[in-house]
Amino acid sequence: MALNMLLHSKLRSWLTIVGIVIGVGAVVGIISLGDAMEASVQSRLADMDLSSITITPGYSRAQSRIPGHGSNDWGGNPTIDAKLTDRDVDALGGIEGIVYAAGEISGREGVSYAGENATLSISGVDPQVWKYMKSLEVESGRLLEPADKYVAVIGSGVASKIYKKNIGVNQVITINGKSVRVVGILKEEGGFEDRQIYMPIDAAVNLITDAEKGVFDSIQVKAQNVEVVDTVATTIEKKLIISRHIVNENDRDFSVIALKAMAQSVTTMLSSMTLFLGAIAAVSLIVGAVGIANTMFTSVLEKTKEIGTMKAIGAKNRDILMIFVFNSAMVGFVGGIFGVILGVLISALFPMIGMTVTSGEGGAIPSVSPGLMIFGLALAVLIGVISGAVPAYRASKMKPVDALRYE
Amino acid sequence: MHANDAKALKQSLNYPLYTEKNTEAYEVNCPTSIRNNAAGSGRASLIKLTNVWKIYQMGEVDFAALRGIDLEIYEGEFLVVLGPSGSGKSTLMNLIGCLDLPSKGKVSLNSKDISGLDESELARIRGQMIGFIFQSFNLISTLNTLENVMLPLEFQEEDTTRARKRVEYLLEIVGLSDKKQNLPSQLSGGQRQRVAIARSLVVNPPIILADEPTGNLDSKTGSYILEFLDGLNKKEGKTIIIVTHDLEIIKHATRVVYLRDGEIEKIEIREKSDFGE
Repeated sequence: MALNMLLHSKLRSWLTIVGIVIGVGAVVGIISLGDAMEASVQSRLADMDLSSITITPGYSRAQSRIPGHGSNDWGGNPTIDAKLTDRDVDALGGIEGIVYAAGEISGREGVSYAGENATLSISGVDPQVWKYMKSLEVESGRLLEPADKYVAVIGSGVASKIYKKNIGVNQVITINGKSVRVVGILKEEGGFEDRQIYMPIDAAVNLITDAEKGVFDSIQVKAQNVEVVDTVATTIEKKLIISRHIVNENDRDFSVIALKAMAQSVTTMLSSMTLFLGAIAAVSLIVGAVGIANTMFTSVLEKTKEIGTMKAIGAKNRDILMIFVFNSAMVGFVGGIFGVILGVLISALFPMIGMTVTSGEGGAIPSVSPGLMIFGLALAVLIGVISGAVPAYRASKMKPVDALRYE
Repeated sequence: MHANDAKALKQSLNYPLYTEKNTEAYEVNCPTSIRNNAAGSGRASLIKLTNVWKIYQMGEVDFAALRGIDLEIYEGEFLVVLGPSGSGKSTLMNLIGCLDLPSKGKVSLNSKDISGLDESELARIRGQMIGFIFQSFNLISTLNTLENVMLPLEFQEEDTTRARKRVEYLLEIVGLSDKKQNLPSQLSGGQRQRVAIARSLVVNPPIILADEPTGNLDSKTGSYILEFLDGLNKKEGKTIIIVTHDLEIIKHATRVVYLRDGEIEKIEIREKSDFGE
C-alpha cells in the first residue's frame, strides 16, 4: 500500500513507461526475429550436406556468394576463360579424406513437354556418385543409375509447376530436340533444386550447348565427414595450384567453396546482425532508463516534504529507499509487460509487411518464446531498479528536519 | 462543513480512546514502564534537555537558534511552548521530536541520551514514542484516509489485520469512519487534521507533539481540536507538547514555556497542575 504512493497514474508515469515499452518491445521483437532467422537458416543447413566441396572455374576474392540461386551458375567468374577438366578431377585422386570427386556440367536449354516450351536448368552429373553427393530423395521413380543414358530425374517444380500438364515417371520430355525419359521425380525441397533437371553427364554433354567432353562447369567433392572438410578444401587448393601450374596468386583461376565454411559465415553474419540490431534496440532501453531516473529524481524532489513526514512518523531510511526503488521497479514492470506485448506484435507484424525472414516457403514464423518474454520483463524490472536506485538513495538520506521544511 | 467537524469531534471526546477490547488488541511499541506511569501517577521525567544549543551555519556567520536550553518534560503534562517567530520554537520542537540532534548539550528521552543514536534508531524512537501533528497536516496526498492513518503501523511492521482494526477504531473516534477511502484533497481542513490526529495516535505513543496544530484552521474547528487533545491528556494521560505562537492555546496548558531569542524567558505553571520545577 505505502509502496504504491508515487504511481498514481500520473501522465508523467505513463510517459516514463512508454520509454520502457518501446525499448523492451524493440529488444524482444528483434531478438525474436533474429531467432526466427537463425532457426530458418539452421533448418536449411541441416538439409544440406556440409561435407561437400564445390570447385568452380574462375576466382573471385569475395567468395561469399551463395551458389545456385535461381540459375545454374555455380559461382566463378565467367569472364575468365578457365576450365575445369578431367585432369583436375584426376589431380584430386590422391587426396586423403575425399570420398568422391566428380565433374558436373550445366546449362539452360529449351525443354518441351506436351507441346509447351520452357527454358530450364539441366545438370549433367556422374550417375554413379551423384546420389551420394546430394541428399536428394525421390518422390516417385528412382535416382540415376550408371547404365542410364538419355533419362532424367526432375525436380518437383519441373514436374508439377512448369507445364500445364504434370509430368509423370516414364513420360518423355524433349531437350534440345532429343527425347529424354523421366525416371524419377524428386521430393519438394523449397529451393532451386525443384526446377532442376538431372541427367547422366555423358548424355547431357550432347544436349547442352557449348559443352565439351571432359570439361566441367564444376567439380563436386565429397569429404569423408564434416570434420575433415576444411583440411580437404585446403589440400585441394594446394594440389590444384600445383597441377594447374599457377605461380602467382593473381593468376589463380579456380575457387574451392566448402559448404560448411559458407554455412558458418552465414550463421555468423546472422548472429552479428541480430547483435547489431539488438544493440540499437538497447540504446532505446537506455533512453528509457534515463527517463525513469529523471522521473524518479523529479518525484523525490516533489515528495520531499512527504518523505520528511514519513520519517517523522517512523519511516527508516530503508523504508524510504524501498518505497522509491519499488516504485521505479513497478514502472519497469508495467513498461515490461506492455513492452513484451509490443515485441510480440512487432515479430508478428514483420512478415505481414513483407519482411520475409526466410527465403522460400516453409520458413520459420517468428514467435516470442516464454523465455524471451520473461527475459524482457526481467530486463525492464532490472532497468527500473537500477535507474531508481540513485534517486531512491538520495531520498532515503534526506534529513527529516530539512525535508519537513521543504516547500 | 466546519461546524460538522466540530460537532463530530465534540462527540468523539466521549469515546474512551482505548476500550478494553482495543487495549488487548493493541499492545505493541509503547514501553510498559511508560504505559504504566501514563495513568498520571507522578512526575516521571520523560524528556530532558540539558544545556542544549543548536547552531546553524549561515554562510560566514554562525547563528544560534537555541542557547543553552534546560527543560524537563514530565509524563502527563500539557506543555505549551510559546514564542514569536524566530524564537527557536520550531528548532526546539525538532529536538524534542528526535528529528534533529543538538549542536551542544544533551537531549534525553526516557532517561536515554539520544545524541549518540543513528538515523534508524531515531526513526524507531519517533515511530514508537512520538505522535506528530503538523500545522499543514502533512498527509500523504496519494494515500486515502485509511492508508494515511495506517502508515506508521506499516513502518513498525505491524500485522495488517491488527493494524486495520486499530485504524478503523481510531477513525471512528475522530468521526471519519465514512471517509476511509477519501484522499486528503477530498477532505476539509478540519477533517484532514483529524486524520492527522488519528495517525499520531495509531501506534499509541506516550507523547503527542504538535506544531501549530490550529494554525491552518478556523477558530471554532481549532478550539475543538484543542479540546480533543485536552481530552487525550486528561483521560488517557498522554503527554501533549504544543509549539505555537497562539495565546489561545495557553488555557489548556498545565505549563507554558515562553521562548525568546533561543532562550527560555520564563516558565509558567497553570491551573491546579502539580507539575513544575
